[in-house]
Amino acid sequence: MLLGRKVHVGALSTLLIGTPFVMSAVFAATAAPVSTPTAQSVPVASPLIKVGVRRVTESQYRHTIADIFGSDIKINARFEPEKREEGLLALGSAQLSLTSSGFEQYFELASTISEQVVSEKQRATTVPCKPVDATKADDTCARQFVESYGERLFRRPLTELEIAARLKSASLGATQGKDFYAGLKLALASFLVAPEFVFRVEMAEPDPANPRQYRLDAYSKASRIAYLLWDSTPDPELLAVAKSGAIHTDAVLKQQLARLTSSPRYEEGARAFLADMLQMDGFDNLVKDPAIYPKFNQAVADSAKEQTLKTSIDLLVKKKVDYRDLFTSNDTFINRSLAAVYNVPFKSTGDWAPYSFPANSERSGLLTQVSFLSLFAHPGTSSPTRRGIKIHEIFMCEPTPDPPADVDFSKVKDSNKGTIRGRLLDHMENTGCTACHRRSDPPGLALEHFDGLGQLRLLENGSPIDVTADLNGKKFTGAQGLGKLLHEDPRVPACLVRNVYAYGVGRKTDDRDEDYLADQGKVFASSGYRLPDLMMQIASSKEFFKAVIPSGARPAASTAQTTSTSPSP
Amino acid sequence: MSLVFNRRSLLRGMLGGSAVYMGLPVLDVFLNTNGNAFADGAKLPTRFGTYFWGLGLTDTPTGGTRWVPKKVGSGFEITPELTSLQNVKDKLSVFSGFRAIGDGRANLVHWSGHASILSGVAPATSTRFDGPSFDTKIADAIGGSTRFKMIDVDASVSRRPVSYSTRTGSTFATPEATALSLYTRLFGPGFQDPNSDNWKPDPSIMLRQSVLSAVKDQRQALLANVGKADQVKLDQYFTSVREMENQLQVQLQRPDKCESCVVPGAPKELARGASVDIVNANTKTMARLLAMGLACNQTRVFNFVHTASSSETYIAGQSKIYHQITHDEPTDAQLGFQPETSKLASLVMQGFGIFLNEMDAIKEGDGTLLDHMLVMGLSDTGYAKIHAIENIPMFLAGGAGGKHKTGQHVAGAGEPVTRVSLTAMQLVGAPVGEFGTGTMKTSRPISEVMA
Repeated sequence: MLLGRKVHVGALSTLLIGTPFVMSAVFAATAAPVSTPTAQSVPVASPLIKVGVRRVTESQYRHTIADIFGSDIKINARFEPEKREEGLLALGSAQLSLTSSGFEQYFELASTISEQVVSEKQRATTVPCKPVDATKADDTCARQFVESYGERLFRRPLTELEIAARLKSASLGATQGKDFYAGLKLALASFLVAPEFVFRVEMAEPDPANPRQYRLDAYSKASRIAYLLWDSTPDPELLAVAKSGAIHTDAVLKQQLARLTSSPRYEEGARAFLADMLQMDGFDNLVKDPAIYPKFNQAVADSAKEQTLKTSIDLLVKKKVDYRDLFTSNDTFINRSLAAVYNVPFKSTGDWAPYSFPANSERSGLLTQVSFLSLFAHPGTSSPTRRGIKIHEIFMCEPTPDPPADVDFSKVKDSNKGTIRGRLLDHMENTGCTACHRRSDPPGLALEHFDGLGQLRLLENGSPIDVTADLNGKKFTGAQGLGKLLHEDPRVPACLVRNVYAYGVGRKTDDRDEDYLADQGKVFASSGYRLPDLMMQIASSKEFFKAVIPSGARPAASTAQTTSTSPSP
Repeated sequence: MSLVFNRRSLLRGMLGGSAVYMGLPVLDVFLNTNGNAFADGAKLPTRFGTYFWGLGLTDTPTGGTRWVPKKVGSGFEITPELTSLQNVKDKLSVFSGFRAIGDGRANLVHWSGHASILSGVAPATSTRFDGPSFDTKIADAIGGSTRFKMIDVDASVSRRPVSYSTRTGSTFATPEATALSLYTRLFGPGFQDPNSDNWKPDPSIMLRQSVLSAVKDQRQALLANVGKADQVKLDQYFTSVREMENQLQVQLQRPDKCESCVVPGAPKELARGASVDIVNANTKTMARLLAMGLACNQTRVFNFVHTASSSETYIAGQSKIYHQITHDEPTDAQLGFQPETSKLASLVMQGFGIFLNEMDAIKEGDGTLLDHMLVMGLSDTGYAKIHAIENIPMFLAGGAGGKHKTGQHVAGAGEPVTRVSLTAMQLVGAPVGEFGTGTMKTSRPISEVMA
């Protein structure tokens, strides 16, 4: 039978003894079509269930290619847009498929990446063997190439059929082009457009400890860890512990987590998480009115995003400070473009320099950086409502419902005079609006000393701006007051815990997760709110690998249709 | 008075009113086996597109309007917000008074309206449609023989690129969001000049096909033991693979000559900005490229977004965005409407005028490209100040190869918007006899605009 997944033997042989599952079926799990010449019309039963099909994000794609083929491979493409759900792109991409124009892009990319990988310049390092005759097909060498890269790209060993399909491409390409490497190019391209690469297919297997339950299989576990901590595909060492099944033991799992978090690549993983949670992708399309904000340009947009990520990584990963200090710290990095917006001198000769705003500055914490302030504003004005909504959504995991359709705007006055506060107070008096605006607007109003680009100002339409606010009876003033409020709010670390978990598992949390999340929150607090510890702690918990069986997915072995045609043990 | 009776006029007469029409679905018997031509061999109109702009058009609280013509039927007058459609007035129909009906579902602001028009059902959540958008049905019917089954364009230059075209309800198409990317997609690598005398099939295409066949071989294994939601995703993926295969297949065939096809040069990068002058300039450049893409037979179906729902466009130099103005601006007591809102609506409609004029500028056969296509113009709301999903402005523009009886204003009197969608599908020959769900389910196209 198909031996491509022989790797499972070690992991599963014990559990399968005495269980109703067919051994050989396990091997055929993912990729054996029922209509192969050898297995004609004999459906293959399998106890493995696909519990998740998650589209790889742009940053995961880029990291994966760089990790496998080297960082000098150029990836020049426009990726299909991602979609944010419950605050995270990671949750949206778990819902997304690939449209035809998106596929076209992957198809082109597959071709340009493969071309670079087998180019004369690269092949000495990228191709593990030399063909007997470079003008002809060479199955032996092609197989080495296909097996080694296929395993990295699919994040699991290949089935014989998957290998055979690529060897066929390699042979066709080599023969037609009289060039062995042209064949490899085709074989590699067919991996890069395959759904098993473009999507992360997560599999669950029966849990040996609880025979009626399922757990993530070893390779899916390895991928979950690698994408959480490195934003990339598992490396050979991680694949090896998946292959041996050792990843299922706590000791080996913790050892691998420690290895991954102490690697320099962990910074990339943490950065990808923070970029997602802080919604930095908004900078890809941010526009401002040039007449109102002449200092805004693409360089400012790019720098603002970089500033926030650089500062967050420095504080949370390098210095391992308390996560909540992100809202109060005056320490950051600036470059020349940002110095102009912040209206401070830039004296460094380098691109970036550390900078600390004075202790009494209104600039303190993440919310006073240009990124947050400009991203959550309009092209020509600030927007206290939008900023407030985003503070609740991003940092407290509290989404704001859609506005009601039948709002009575008759009381709203024109806001060309005075400050925006007056207009929003009108909203707060409106019965249909008040519940949300009372919550969203106060934090935003406290940030009103910053305009739609994030520049400091004290007047709007000639009137002094009042930055006092009251949120659920808690009074505070200005950006510093808001930062301190968030620093002390227990919803803020609880939201980070939720986000790390949801980001890693690619599934929205629900009531059944609450106890677990509360426990994780306590551990997070007792460890001093350190992000790397939190990520490790979550990735080592059993719940992180819990398999939630989707509706409609049943093991083939248990369906009437299959059992009637396939031999039962 | 005309005494010529046909089935439609007879049925109309029988019911005696102008607001109620008997639907005459295109029965399968009238279509050939492929559903792409009538059985007598006459070619169906082969291009269809949607044109979307955000925030509807302006009504007045006292029941008046800045856009709905007073006269119903042919010879309607041009209203203030439709001024920019003057040149093509005789080549389009205006639909007023149609509404989205939620059957108890909430009006999800800036979402329920166009979701209803495009998918036929008022959606449950504001990130998804509850069904595919109907342009995909048209693409399946008429888009198979060109290189691209469909092209999506977003000219709005703001926030995330937007498309409302979807097969699954959750994954929306990726639009070309700059003129250069649209140009590259249509006329960049892979483009074959239909009028070239030196056409030769490119041997590398067959090799590229083999890349896809390795993927397709694994389809069945991948779809085994998979949850329903994931199956939908994978089905969409394999649909995309098939479209790519089709694209390669088309490229292996000598293209038919197109006399109207003049391969354009690459466009200059335009200024990036969301102000309405920039969006309209972008619309012009992208419409021109798209028109040539249609004339050069690269696609037959498209979706064009001028500005997204709850549009963030604005008048350059002014601090408030259109969306905010529609809500905040009081109704001027003397004028009886919101003057700034109406001004922005007119500016936004300039985009539609520009778009249609570009389609009309290309001569084709004994008419123009516009005569051989159907463009459905639509928005997310009616009167934006109150998020109305009644009286959502809709247009059908273009002759649809003689099938569309243009130059009329149809007053819907509260009929569901899906009737206009169904009409569009049938005018371009999609084999669809019924569209929508619940109260919006209809098998009655608007027969007076059907020749």
